[in-house]
Amino acid sequence: MIKTTKTKALSLSMMVSLALTGMANANVTNKDILNDQMTTDDVVSYGLGLKGQRYSPLKKINNETVKEMRPVWAFSLGGEKQRGQESQPMIKDGVMYITGSYSRVFAIDARTGDELWQYDARLPDGIMPCCDVINRGVALYGDLVIFGTLDAKLVALHKDTGKVVWKKKVEDYKAGYSITAAPIIVKGKVITGVAGGEFGIVGKVRAYDAKNGDLVWERPTVEGHMGYIWKDGKKMENGISGGKAGQTWPGDLWKSGGAAPWNGGTYDADVDLLFFGTGNPAPWNSHLRPGDNFFSSSRLALDPDTGKIVWHFQTTPHDGWDFDGVNELVSFDYKQDGKTIKAAATADRNGFMYILNRENGDFIRGFPFVDKISWASGLDKNGRPIYIDSNRPGNPADSKDGKKGTIVTATPSFLGGKNWMPIAYSKDTELFYVPSNEWSMDIWNEPTAYKKGAAYLGAGFTIKANHDDYIGVLRAMDPKTGKEVWRYENYSPLWAGVLATAGNLVFTGNPEGYLLGLNAKTGDVEYKFNTGSGVVGSPVTWEMDGEQYISVLSGWGGAVPLWGGDVAKRIKHLNQGGSVWTFKLPK
Amino acid sequence: MFAFSCCWLFCATVFSRSYDDIIESNEIVIAVYSDFQPFSYVDNGEEKGIDVDLAYVIAKKLGVKLRLRWMTADETVDDDLRNNLWKGHFLNRTVADLMLRVPYDRDYSLLRDDIGELVHQHVHMFAPFHTESWQVIFNSKKIDSVETIAVFQYHDIGVEVDSIPQFYLTSAFQGRMRDRAKQYPSISEAISAMTESKVDAVMGLTSQISHYQGELSKVNYPLAKNAFPMIGRQQWDIGMAVKADYRQLGYAVADIVENIVNTGEMQTIFAKFNVIYKIPNLYKTAE
Repeated sequence: MIKTTKTKALSLSMMVSLALTGMANANVTNKDILNDQMTTDDVVSYGLGLKGQRYSPLKKINNETVKEMRPVWAFSLGGEKQRGQESQPMIKDGVMYITGSYSRVFAIDARTGDELWQYDARLPDGIMPCCDVINRGVALYGDLVIFGTLDAKLVALHKDTGKVVWKKKVEDYKAGYSITAAPIIVKGKVITGVAGGEFGIVGKVRAYDAKNGDLVWERPTVEGHMGYIWKDGKKMENGISGGKAGQTWPGDLWKSGGAAPWNGGTYDADVDLLFFGTGNPAPWNSHLRPGDNFFSSSRLALDPDTGKIVWHFQTTPHDGWDFDGVNELVSFDYKQDGKTIKAAATADRNGFMYILNRENGDFIRGFPFVDKISWASGLDKNGRPIYIDSNRPGNPADSKDGKKGTIVTATPSFLGGKNWMPIAYSKDTELFYVPSNEWSMDIWNEPTAYKKGAAYLGAGFTIKANHDDYIGVLRAMDPKTGKEVWRYENYSPLWAGVLATAGNLVFTGNPEGYLLGLNAKTGDVEYKFNTGSGVVGSPVTWEMDGEQYISVLSGWGGAVPLWGGDVAKRIKHLNQGGSVWTFKLPK
Repeated sequence: MFAFSCCWLFCATVFSRSYDDIIESNEIVIAVYSDFQPFSYVDNGEEKGIDVDLAYVIAKKLGVKLRLRWMTADETVDDDLRNNLWKGHFLNRTVADLMLRVPYDRDYSLLRDDIGELVHQHVHMFAPFHTESWQVIFNSKKIDSVETIAVFQYHDIGVEVDSIPQFYLTSAFQGRMRDRAKQYPSISEAISAMTESKVDAVMGLTSQISHYQGELSKVNYPLAKNAFPMIGRQQWDIGMAVKADYRQLGYAVADIVENIVNTGEMQTIFAKFNVIYKIPNLYKTAE
C-alpha cells in the first residue's frame, strides 16, 4: 500500500514536472509579457513588466535573510570589450539573455553560468556613437531575442542558436544615429526609438512586426514631420506630428529638431498607451530657436496600433541646458479620497519629478527630487517650469568680440538630476526609488571653436560636484506628497537601475562596484557585495527550482567617465571589468 | 599593458610615433576627414582631394609610404584631435601620426579650460597651408547682385546645418534673415538646391563654394563680393597637428609645407580642384 502511494506521488510529481517542462519550452507570448510583473519564474520585459515598475513579489530574499545571500556564479563578458555594461538581464526557461557593450548578445545557463551562445554584431568602421558603447538589453518574443545595435539596426536572433533570423536598418549610422535602449514588445510589435548626435537628426519611434521585422508605423517626435503607417506592405501618410510645421519652431529649424527618444519606452495596458521620452532640441543654442520646440524634452503617449500621439507633456519647454526628457514614465495607481487615480511618474533630467494622469497627460503634481535646482524657481499649476532667466546659458551673438561669454552655473548638470538609470516603484511601500545625482555645470559660449576645419561657435561646459562627500543619492520619494522618505548618499555618481521587491528590499549598484540591498522602508544598507567593477546595469530577480535569484551586470562605463572636470577625479581609479553576477540564498 | 601589447600585434599604429619610428617603419599615417569635398573624399573608389594630395606630397618628401586614416567628424575639432591624434576613439583606440585641416590659431592652441589647464596640451598645431573664409554664391537669374547680406531678407539662401552660416543667418540683425535661411545636410546638397531653383543663393566656406562653382556656369552662378558684418571670425588659417611629444616630425613636415607654398606646388593642388587659394600670413611676412 505504502509503496503504491509513493509511486503515485512520484508519478504525479513527474507529471507536474513534465507539464512544467512542456510549458517551460514555450515561446514568449504577448500574454507572458503583459503578465511579467506578476510572474516570478521569468523576466521577459525590460522593467520587469511593461509599466516599468521594476517590482517583484518575491520575498524569500528579504530583510531577515538577505545577509546570507551569496554569489552562485559569475560570467565574464571577456576580451577587451568589458567596459560599459548597462544591460538588464532577461530570464526565460532557465536561460539568461543579456546584451554586452559593443553590440553583443549572450545566452547563459541561468543555473550554472555556462555560455550557451554569443552573438557579436559586426560594427562598421568610423561609427561615432555619442555616449559610449553601451546597450541596455534585449526584448524576447516567440523564439526570438531582439536588440538594437550601435549602428542603428534591429537584430532578431533565434533563442536557441543565436543565429540571425531577421535584421533591419532602423536609421543610417552615418547620419549620427545609433540604438542603445532595450526595445519593448507590445501586441506582437517591437517598439524602438533611436539615439543620435546633437544635431541634424530627427527623433522617431518605430514599430516593427516582431516576427519578420516589417515596419508597421513610424512616428517622428518633432513637430512638422509626417508619420507613416504600413498597410499590406503599402506606406501611407498618417498625419503630421503636432498638426503642422512652424508652430513652436522658427524658420526651418524643425527640420533638424533633435528630440531623440533614446532611452526606450514603457507601456500600460489599462490605458493602452505607449510612453516615450524625448531628448533635447537642436541646435544647442536656445537663443536660435525661440519657442517651445515641440516635442523635445517631453513625454509622449502613443497609440500602440498606429503610432498617433495621444497626449504630450513637455518637462523643459525651450530647453537651453541639455535637459533631455527621455526618462521612463512609470505607470502606477494610487488611492486618494477613495478614488483610484491612474497615474504615472517620471523623474526628469531637469531635477523635477512629475506625477501625471496617464489617461490624458494632465499634470497632477511635481516636486524637486534633488536638493538644488538653479534654473527654475518651481512649477506652475500646469507643470510648466517657472524659469530663472539669468540662469539660461547666454546668447553667443552677444559675445561676437571673440571673447568667452559669461559663465553660467546651472544645477543639475546636463547629465541630469537623473540620467538613463531606471527608477523602481514598490506597491508595498507606495514609494518610488530614484537614483539621482547632486551636481552642477558651468556653461559658457566658446567663440574660439572649430568644426571640421571651419570656424564655429561652441559651448564650453564642465561638471562639478555639489558636495565633497557625495554626488549620488538614492532616494525614496512619496509620489503623493513629494516628500523624501529616506536617502542613501554615495561618493561617486549613481548610474545603475533600481529593483524593488516584496522582501522589503531595494537593490541597486554603484560605480565603486557594490551590489547594494537596502531596506525599502528605512534605506539602511542590509547587504553589499563588491562585484569587482562599477555597477551601471539594472538588477533583476526571479525564481527557479523554488529558490529566488538576483542578477546584475558589473562593468564600469557609460557617459560619466567620458566627461572630465571635477567629477573625473572621483572615478578615474575605478577599474574596468565586465561580468554578470548571480546570487541566491544558501540551501 | 596587456591590451596594449595585444593590440600591437593586430594594428600597425596604436599610438602616434616619433619621426625616427616613422622613417624606420617606412610609413606615415595621416588623418583626413571622410566625405569632405574638395578636401578629402572618395569618388568612384578613388581617394581624392586637396588634403589627400597634400598628404601624398608630405609622405613622398619624407620618403615613406602613405596610409590615410579616414576620420568621421565629431562635434568639434577638439573631439577630432582626441579621437584621431592623442587618445583614440573609445571604440577603437588607434591614432594617426599627423592630422590635417586643424586650425592654425594662437588663441585656439593656447585655449585654457575652466581650471586653467591648456585644452590642447596633448597636441602641437603648426604649418598653416591655406587661409579659409566665408563666401556667398548666387543665381544671377534670381538676384541681380549681392551688395550686402541684407538681400537675404528677401531671397532664400541655403546653408549647411549646424554651421556658422546657419548661426549667422538665423541670429544676426535680430533674426531678420531667419526665415530665409534653409538648412541642408551638406554644402553640396545646398548647391544642388540652388541649381534646382529651390534657393537663390548658398553661403559656405570659400574653398567649398569655389570648388562647386567649378562645375557650374560662372555667369549664371557668380561669387558675391559682400562683407559679413558681425560674423566674428572673418578668416582663419588651416594647418595640421601632431602629438605634442613629436615636435621633430612637426618641424620636418612644416619645412615641407613652407617649401611647397613657396614653390607654388600648393597653389597647383588647389587649382586642380577649382579652389581659390589664399596664402596664410605666415608666409606673406616671409616673402
